[in-house]
Amino acid sequence: MKFRYAMVCSSNQNRSMEAHSLLKKQGFDVSSYGTGAHVKLPGPSLREPNVYEFGTPYKHMFDDLRRKDPELYKRNGILPMLKRNLSVKLAPQRWQDNAADGCFDIVFTFEEKVFDMVLEDLHNRDQVLLKSVLVINLEVKDNHEEAAIGARIALDLCEQIEAVESWEDSIDDIMVSFENKHRRKLLYSISFY
Amino acid sequence: MVGIMNPVSREKLESLSSSVKFAIDLGSKLELCRQLKHDLLEEDAADLSEFLPRIFDLYSDPSGPVRKFATEIIGEIGVKHLEFVPELAPFLITVLEDATPAVARQSVACSIDLFRHTLEKIAIRGLYSSELDSDLESSWSWMLKLKEKIYSIAFQPGSGGIRLVALKFVEAVILLYTPNPNGSLEPPPNEGTSIEFNITWLRGGHPLLNVGDLSIEASQRLVLLLDQLRFPAVKSLTTSVIVVIINSLSAIAKKRPAYYGRILPVLLSLDPPSFVIKGVHVYGAHHALKNALLSCLKCTHPSAAPWRERILGALKEMKAGGLADLALNQVHKINGSVEEEKDDSLLIKEEKPLTKTYDAAGSNVGRKRSGTEGSSDLAEKDEVAGKRVKATPSASEESTKELNRNITVSQGDISSTQSSTRKVDVDTGPVQQLVGMFGALVAQGEKAVGSLGILISNISADLLAEVVMANMCNLPPTHPHTDTDDELLEDMCIVGSDTQAKYPPSFLADVISLSSTFPPIASMLNSQQSVPNKIVKTEGEEEVDVVADPNSALAYAGMAHEDENALLATDLPVSSNIVLPGMKIDPPTPSDIHDTGNLESGIPGLDSSFRNDGLSDTQAASSLVSTDIEDASQEQATSFGGKSPLHVLPSISIDRSEELSPKAAVTDSSSMVSSTATSVVSSCPFVLPKMSAPVVNLSEDQKDDVQKLAFVRIVEAYKQIAVAGGSQVRSSLLAYLGVELPSELELQKVLREHILSDYINHEGHELTLRVLYRLFGKAEDESDFLSCTTAASAYETFLLAVAETLRDSFPPSDKSLSKLLGEAPRLPKSVLNLLGCLCSPGISEKAEESQSGDRVTQGLSTVWSLILLRPPIRDVCLKIALQSAVHHLEEVRMKAIRLVANKLYPLQSIAQQIEEFAREMLLSVVNVDATERTGAEGLISESHKDSDLEKSSNEHQSMSSISKDISADVHQSDTSHSGSSPSVPEAQRCMSLYFALCTKKHSLFGQIFIIYGSASKEVKQAIHRHIPILVRTMGLSSDLLEIISDPPSGSENLLMQVLQTLTEGTVPSAELIFTIKKLFDSKLKVQDVEILVPVLPFLPGDEVLLLFPHLVNLPLDKFQAVLTRLLQGSAHSGPVLTPAEVLIAIHGIVPERDGIPLKKVTDACNACFEQRHIFTQQVLAKVLNQLVERIPLPLLFMRTVLQAIGAFPALVEFIMEILSRLVSKQIWQNPKLWVGFLKCALLTKPQSFSVLLQLPPPQLENALNRTAALKAPLVAHASQQNIRNSLPRSMLAVLGLAPDTQSSSQAQTSQAHTGDTSNSEKDAAVTEKSKESSSAS
Repeated sequence: MKFRYAMVCSSNQNRSMEAHSLLKKQGFDVSSYGTGAHVKLPGPSLREPNVYEFGTPYKHMFDDLRRKDPELYKRNGILPMLKRNLSVKLAPQRWQDNAADGCFDIVFTFEEKVFDMVLEDLHNRDQVLLKSVLVINLEVKDNHEEAAIGARIALDLCEQIEAVESWEDSIDDIMVSFENKHRRKLLYSISFY
Repeated sequence: MVGIMNPVSREKLESLSSSVKFAIDLGSKLELCRQLKHDLLEEDAADLSEFLPRIFDLYSDPSGPVRKFATEIIGEIGVKHLEFVPELAPFLITVLEDATPAVARQSVACSIDLFRHTLEKIAIRGLYSSELDSDLESSWSWMLKLKEKIYSIAFQPGSGGIRLVALKFVEAVILLYTPNPNGSLEPPPNEGTSIEFNITWLRGGHPLLNVGDLSIEASQRLVLLLDQLRFPAVKSLTTSVIVVIINSLSAIAKKRPAYYGRILPVLLSLDPPSFVIKGVHVYGAHHALKNALLSCLKCTHPSAAPWRERILGALKEMKAGGLADLALNQVHKINGSVEEEKDDSLLIKEEKPLTKTYDAAGSNVGRKRSGTEGSSDLAEKDEVAGKRVKATPSASEESTKELNRNITVSQGDISSTQSSTRKVDVDTGPVQQLVGMFGALVAQGEKAVGSLGILISNISADLLAEVVMANMCNLPPTHPHTDTDDELLEDMCIVGSDTQAKYPPSFLADVISLSSTFPPIASMLNSQQSVPNKIVKTEGEEEVDVVADPNSALAYAGMAHEDENALLATDLPVSSNIVLPGMKIDPPTPSDIHDTGNLESGIPGLDSSFRNDGLSDTQAASSLVSTDIEDASQEQATSFGGKSPLHVLPSISIDRSEELSPKAAVTDSSSMVSSTATSVVSSCPFVLPKMSAPVVNLSEDQKDDVQKLAFVRIVEAYKQIAVAGGSQVRSSLLAYLGVELPSELELQKVLREHILSDYINHEGHELTLRVLYRLFGKAEDESDFLSCTTAASAYETFLLAVAETLRDSFPPSDKSLSKLLGEAPRLPKSVLNLLGCLCSPGISEKAEESQSGDRVTQGLSTVWSLILLRPPIRDVCLKIALQSAVHHLEEVRMKAIRLVANKLYPLQSIAQQIEEFAREMLLSVVNVDATERTGAEGLISESHKDSDLEKSSNEHQSMSSISKDISADVHQSDTSHSGSSPSVPEAQRCMSLYFALCTKKHSLFGQIFIIYGSASKEVKQAIHRHIPILVRTMGLSSDLLEIISDPPSGSENLLMQVLQTLTEGTVPSAELIFTIKKLFDSKLKVQDVEILVPVLPFLPGDEVLLLFPHLVNLPLDKFQAVLTRLLQGSAHSGPVLTPAEVLIAIHGIVPERDGIPLKKVTDACNACFEQRHIFTQQVLAKVLNQLVERIPLPLLFMRTVLQAIGAFPALVEFIMEILSRLVSKQIWQNPKLWVGFLKCALLTKPQSFSVLLQLPPPQLENALNRTAALKAPLVAHASQQNIRNSLPRSMLAVLGLAPDTQSSSQAQTSQAHTGDTSNSEKDAAVTEKSKESSSAS
């Protein structure tokens, strides 16, 4: 695996973690992040979401929610999701604070808003290394089912990118063939570290 | 110290570099490189210079990563020791040409670093000294060469991936060469301090660098960059290059606003459609452009200002209007913060122009919005966002309030705003169109009533509900005359549903009510001016109406103190909230001049409906809340003219500060109202007098309570709707309210309770479905995790609760549950689980009550209908049914099997699955013990063993009947495996389904034959239990015949049972008989005549006779059965053989010839004799009569004769006759029979004497010698005178009655004796045998 990947969604819970988990299993060098201000998980109602800071261990959230209403959080898939997450890594991480994690070659986002935030963040950093980074947005609806599908598609794309020598030369072809294959619109941009 | 270190480290470095060279695998090479780099960077310059060639040497490595690393090391050395640049730069230039793109890119990346550092160093050096040393100069010239080289790559088409970095290099150089307005204007006081380099430092002059020249070069390069994006150059670029260039340009524009004016025209003229260049992928570039423009929009530099309009226009074209607004808002924010230090007047001044543009944008958005107002999904989204807005604290000062709010939205929840903004373009807003249509119709008065009716009856109830909700804002605040309530109520029935037929008398009244219901719309359409008026009016309603309406005034007065009235009073804010969810949240104000005031105008007259409610409460208990809306409209109609002066805009400033902060949500409705307004009205300034009014501030909790109470009231009122009818439309409305209101209030619970309290009378099904569809729509529509998960969860809770209640409270025969599940938009797992438990009781619950059987039926029929109605979940439902079909309770199982086999299996689409499942279950039974049996021995030994088993089973079979078969199997299975094979009930559980399927598809039956051989005894037992029913149900089909004609080995017992069942009570078809005969002939050979047994009665007699030896060879009990069959025959054809024929056939068997043990034959005979009622005296006589004529005589003839005498002593006379015939047939010729003859003679003495005397004298002598016991009585008998006289002399001599013939007789005796001795041994054996047999009989 020659590239470093980052999966980014808003809360680093569902879509990015689904993809992270899958890619990790496939042996990719992958990290995952969220771009939101907080980690928000559904609560008993819309007005009462469970809000955590980035860096709060998944385990902590898991225990917290299990204590609050195991029935509800099991049914809406939150507990299973957290369980999966805590087997992948310790805690949700925030994209904007990841400078110390080094450079990524490929960044996947799953929502255009997140895509824009990642790009903006990258543009706001000091671009001194001149190391190119490919940011790809794959629009995935934020529910469990779609996240699973999205992760598989992301994996497929990663494998295609991994298969070429340098994505800089062939990214357009990869995108075109990918879009033809999956019938999904992709958005990508190139930024620099 | 360095000196000491040097030798060591150099050695180390050398060894490192050489080991890099010789390392075998890439991983260790890279690791060594890393180490080398680390060590190298700690070296000082002198040592490095010696070592450089070795590093260059590393670059000759064949593998790309190592070369890349070498390049990286070079780059870092260069940055650290700029004096090496003249040596390193040529190297980097070479590397640029590297065949591996990654290495070449690394070179560019190193170059920019090196370039920046060199430039900085030279610049600063130059600042402090007028002369630069030649080293630096040469370094610089090398750097320029390097730069030129990279430039050429950047602008040369088709240089691939490296070009992206090269372009970035260009951007970096441009930035370095141009002054940074935000950077420090003065160079650092001394060398070494790190401040971001700014070329402006050099403006004072520099020995080597000329600011002007650099700037010229920068702009030249910029022109080149820009040219890339111009037509037609852009056509030849790849998307990635375009993206990079756009990004670079926007970065330059942002960081160097001076270039704004040069960059933006190019970006703006970059026509998105032209991106369809290399075929497909244009989004990337399109999006990059959008982002670039947005970031340009955020630029606060003065030179950016003139471009804003154009950027906005372009963004709008790109459908990013909403984003543009947000960006602008951010500009506001930035402006605000930047100029914070400046005085307030400046701030206001600064804001003014911005507000203008902002308004322009806002009006655009507002206009777009107007069309989609009522669209439910939009409304939902907005609600969510609205709540968030509400949640954010807005405690800031009034002047910045709006800004703050905007900022909150833009930061937190862009998505919702964004998505709604996008949707606007697509949605044309059918609801608003409908509202308009209704208005227009109503305006026509009575003649339009018909059309109105048609219109109402043609649109769906849901849509109508939306229309009503959308029209809420048009309701007037007051109720004119309460005494019309009842009348209106009646009319409402017609408005709500098409009940004109029912109420023809009230038709006229309808017309009136209709026209009065929609006056606001009508007036909106007719007079534009009235609309803004009304909007403004509604804004003030809450407060002003208190005064205006006597009733509500009362309520208000009592609010703080009196309990009862408090409720009424609190209704007011509730009503506003009810409307809110459907409204917009977007802060952008519409094109109304009263931009701030308008924000407040959000609570259109719904509150009046609650006031009405209060009124009707006080007036008559029977008043229906459902009519409130109409009431309100009615009252609006009347109050319209008179009231409006009263509805004045309250003091804006006060109101804002007081009301907005706790209830930011109020603003949400503003755009709703305003957009409704703008859809009709362009703009109409209306100056309103200021007026202060009491404002009620409620806490969040209070508001929640109030909302809840209101909703409960509505629900309560709905309970009476059944009386009024027309609930179909209303239930839409109720569902709408229940779902749209904040879910925290547990309104859905209230709604659910309402539904379940009387499911049937409350139209529970319809209402439930409406709620479900609303929730479902929400869950599907929401894009963010939070709300879609919440909605999905609410959906599930609701559906599950209703389903559980339906299950528990309704009798099993009720179809409500089935109907509900059939029509709900989606069935979540939990509901399917519920269904599963219903179909397979005991899975998760404890033992059910006595009804469980019916419940199972209910569940199964639900599953069936789901399978038919919902193809997408067919598999899951089928699984439920199948699980139920292998349920451990037979009752449950049989029900499920009936469903699966009779109803589901015939469905083409799922038959395959059912079959596979059944087969799997069937095989699971066999495989369990197969695996246990074989253990680790593997396949070969298994097959070997199987054949052994077959053999042994064959043996067993030949000796035992079917009934004993099982015991044989016991033995077999006990010896071969002591495994825990499934018990009989367990086997039945697993196999029943398959058997049921067999009756539908006979070819499946073959599988049972196949597994039978390897099945355990329990399984076999289970199979045997099933077979009779199964086969009888199946009947004889061609499939079955085919199976029978070629049964797999090991399945003989099964085959037998099948045949027996097939022939039981019916005449087997000719085909069956033919098949069996063929099978007998071809395959099973002699031993298995058994298979013919079932059809024996139907075979022709001669065929049976041919088979007789085989039959005799059967085990005795089987033979007995055969005997019975043969003698009884079938009901239709009569006996196949007569008893006599049977006996004769038995006697016709020659053991040696037919290969059948004599014992078997004698047994057969005995079997016959046992049935004396069949084998009667007459039969025996007949048989003996025939047999005696046989030549040769049957072996057992004499034995039979003896038995006959034993059985029927009366036959003696007849037997004597036979004996004498035997004499005439010279019976003595056959020694075996001769023995029997003598035995018989002895037995039948004295009657036999006459026969004995018929013997020729030698034989007589022989006989007497053999059977001494005969002699004396015979002699005595012969001594009688009359007999003696008749005897020839020779006879008498034998008898010793004539002594003179002694010698001759002696000779004869010896003769006979000799003949006798030759046979004596054989005789002895025969005697033995006959003795045995006679004793046996």
